[in-house]
Amino acid sequence: MKRIRLLAAPVTALVALGLVASACSSTPGGGGGGGSTPGGGSTPGGGGTVKLLETGSTLLYPLFNLWVPAYQQATTSVQITTAGTGSGTGIAEATSGAAQIGASDAYLAPAIVQQTPTMENIPLAISAQQVNYNLPGLNSKHLNLSGAVLAGIYGGKIRYWDDPAIKALNPGLALPHKGIVPVHRADGSGDSFLFTSYLSDTTPSWSKSVGFSTTPNWPSVPSAIGANGNSGMVQALQQTPYAIAYVGISYLDQTDKAGLGYAALQNRDGKFVLPSSDTIKAAAAASAGNVPASGAVSLILSPGATSYPIINYEYAIVNTKQSDPAVASAIKAFLTWCITQGNAATFLDQVHFQPLPSNTVQLSQQLISKIGS
Amino acid sequence: MIAARPAEGAAGRARTGISLGRRVRHRTAVVLVWLSVAIVLLPLAHMFAMVTSHAVRALSPKLFTTSTAGVAGGLENAIVGTIQLVVLATVAAVTLGVLGGIWVREFASPRAAFPVRLAADVLAGVPSIVIGYFGYVTMVTWLGWGFSLLAGALALAVIMLPYVLRATDLAIGRVSEELRDASTALGATQAATLRRVILRSALSGIVTGALLAVGIALGETAPLLYTAGWSNYWGLLPSFTHNPVGYLTYVVWTFINQPFAEAHALAYAAAFLLMILVLLLNVVVRRVIVRHTEEAR
Amino acid sequence: MSETTVSARPRRGRVSSRAWGVASGLAAAATPLILLTILVVLAIFAWRSVVWNGLGFFTSTKWNLGNLYGGSLVVRHGIAAPQGAEYGMLVFVTGTLLSSAIAIVLAVPVGIGVAVALTSFSPRGLATVVSFFVELLAGVPSVVFGLWGFTVLVPWIGATVGPGMSKVLGFIPFFGGQAQTGLGLLASGIVLAVMIVPIITAVSRDALAKVPRELLEQGRALGLTEWEIVRDLSLPVARPAVIGAVILGLGRALGETMAVLMVSGSAVNSLPHNLYSPISTMASTIAAQLDSAMTDATGMAVHALAELAVVLFLITVLVNLLVKRIVRTLEQSPVLLWAERETE
Repeated sequence: MKRIRLLAAPVTALVALGLVASACSSTPGGGGGGGSTPGGGSTPGGGGTVKLLETGSTLLYPLFNLWVPAYQQATTSVQITTAGTGSGTGIAEATSGAAQIGASDAYLAPAIVQQTPTMENIPLAISAQQVNYNLPGLNSKHLNLSGAVLAGIYGGKIRYWDDPAIKALNPGLALPHKGIVPVHRADGSGDSFLFTSYLSDTTPSWSKSVGFSTTPNWPSVPSAIGANGNSGMVQALQQTPYAIAYVGISYLDQTDKAGLGYAALQNRDGKFVLPSSDTIKAAAAASAGNVPASGAVSLILSPGATSYPIINYEYAIVNTKQSDPAVASAIKAFLTWCITQGNAATFLDQVHFQPLPSNTVQLSQQLISKIGS
Repeated sequence: MIAARPAEGAAGRARTGISLGRRVRHRTAVVLVWLSVAIVLLPLAHMFAMVTSHAVRALSPKLFTTSTAGVAGGLENAIVGTIQLVVLATVAAVTLGVLGGIWVREFASPRAAFPVRLAADVLAGVPSIVIGYFGYVTMVTWLGWGFSLLAGALALAVIMLPYVLRATDLAIGRVSEELRDASTALGATQAATLRRVILRSALSGIVTGALLAVGIALGETAPLLYTAGWSNYWGLLPSFTHNPVGYLTYVVWTFINQPFAEAHALAYAAAFLLMILVLLLNVVVRRVIVRHTEEAR
Repeated sequence: MSETTVSARPRRGRVSSRAWGVASGLAAAATPLILLTILVVLAIFAWRSVVWNGLGFFTSTKWNLGNLYGGSLVVRHGIAAPQGAEYGMLVFVTGTLLSSAIAIVLAVPVGIGVAVALTSFSPRGLATVVSFFVELLAGVPSVVFGLWGFTVLVPWIGATVGPGMSKVLGFIPFFGGQAQTGLGLLASGIVLAVMIVPIITAVSRDALAKVPRELLEQGRALGLTEWEIVRDLSLPVARPAVIGAVILGLGRALGETMAVLMVSGSAVNSLPHNLYSPISTMASTIAAQLDSAMTDATGMAVHALAELAVVLFLITVLVNLLVKRIVRTLEQSPVLLWAERETE
């Protein structure tokens, strides 16, 4: 008997936990605030509910987390789970079928479309990227930086903040003779893709030696460090005086709170432009007409004197051939909502994204309509 | 700090006739070993304090009654998912592990037992990310289960299995020969001896091993990232394949990387719950061990 | 672990006994089968990388997925990989070995010190309490270690410990240089050390507790101090177990993933040049890079990670076999149980 009690303790503990959890689930709904799921999710699968898994880009993840609860207030027949796993996973899982919607800051590589022709990338919104730094005493000033200088920093050729190349762009600023710590992403990242695209488009030598990728072949710079996710980048900057990093615009509030500086980047017209809703809109307007039918396009270095140089489409990666018609129509309905109501400022402003231009909305709509079973 | 206390009864003798140098060396050693204790316990205390202080913000009944919606809400789905994953994994690992342990100790010849023990020890040493990768390749994509409860639970079970097997093996090994002989002498069959005598007296050892394995499973992240996926929902009667499940360690790992304060609070709350669970498990394990040693006396 | 005493088996019973034998035999077969399957699947997955990379995999410090967006494919031995792709594991192996070495150097004296404190220098009640907390430390999930390392340890190393050590010990090679962020080799080593101390302590404590009382009494009768008894009698007797404990700790340090990922600074393409340099380990690289590897349409990046996993697997097997040789004598003791729970 005694022995049985030994077993009973842990078993009881587990059962009790289970009971608590299930008892709680019977309470319908969950306390207000912009972020709670109606019904608390206690529906035991099946029963006409379609389940969708969205996974991928950590830059897009905060936006999906605003979209999904709002969408589900109106639609209860579908359960959508969001996961921030990185753009690479988004692409891979949408292709393998483990996820229905992959989120990515980067469009599909041609090789993947060649391999699985039913894969498509649907523009959802416009995002941008800031270049942040932690320069004690100078964080309130906006440094002027160009693609070539950033390539020099990340390539190990420019090692000190008072390098002539940086000074030339920032006359009158008292730059310290301190070593630069370039921070890059350690995980596969759409942000790395965007940043290296900017470097490639502005600097031929970078284009030749490194190119652009979600996992670029970073040149060997002894002081460089890798960080995980955008928060990791922000934290690394905060902890490291004289560091520089590229951070998704959805983290603007965090970088501001951390007191980090952000740079004005040189655009195609040679002007130095700060990231703001105006400059991002200007860039989007300049390149909005040039989206090919596939939706795969780089918006880096858009023309125009006031265009911010690093902007991009955020994509939903979807296989147009779904096995279940119910799933296919659920995906279509949700994505259509995302590019229409979901593009409202109430959602996008929170993450500092910009809505799709109207002709891209049409294009996305066409791409969405291809989804079937 | 605790004063040096030469052990039982030797105090008087140890002090007399000992040179100053030796006494100083003894004192130094005492200080150093207790310094080690402080060095070890300090991070633990600090970790607990840090996690708790950050988690307070998110600790409310709501944490247990709402599911995660995006990066806000509660942890209901993650708590239930963790329980489902760990329970399923425990069932699988305990079944295979206990039976395997019995075979190794009771049925196998030393030569046959060797590869099983070796395999268990090696498996215990395989990094958990490797098992996660293996689970992804085989269960998630090849068998086409997708991110699912079954894939996650089996990956965890593979991690738990060797601990349960070896714990069973060692616990049965500690059952006294007299007890076995007595049972056999009374005419009991091997099966009866096994069930009524051996397993019964080895039970606390087996339970301890199983609980330790549960503790390991609770804290795993790497093998689940690519097998269980993540879900904002949960079902009381879960579907075993094709539906991802949430779990607590995912929240710690992912939500700390989000730009919102609520997300950070949830991450710390999940870490807090995990540490409390581990604490409870340790208390239970200790009780089992204490009771076991008391009975052994 | 060899069977030192084969139990005198009760006579074989009737059918039910055979049923037990068959059922348990099948279950026992599962463990080696699972292990074998893992190894075979990994080997199959790694094969294309082995052929394509050849020996370069072991000697190169470059890990480059190549141009995933266009560019022509590079075909070697009939296997294609993206243009510019190169897969070398040297950076990750170096990071793994160095961080584990630092962890061992830090954790061994402290872990054994705690074990000595618990067995020889503390009243029983206190020893129980301290043991409890040390074991609790072993159960803390590795992401929590990572969280703590990242938010507490790393800034501290970057601001205080690193510059301090660099100033005071800078004359020793590898100790000098800038500490910068604090992310890197030292932070990884310290976090790993905190994670493996409980293993070393638990095993050493149990081994020390097993030292025959008569031996200690004799030491006391000779007028030795408690410290001399520990140093000259207990520790030498417990040595094999303690060595086994150290290697078990090493096994865990080598394979740790999440905690290291959060504090290592994830270096790519460069070897550490001092104690504070960013590093990457094999396990953390697999976890961090699997997602972008999966976007390589040729699949070579995934195969290369599989080869990395195989090498890591073989290293941990090697460490385990080493433990087996050394702790053979421990077979009958319950201490292994405690030790093994730590090897994640």
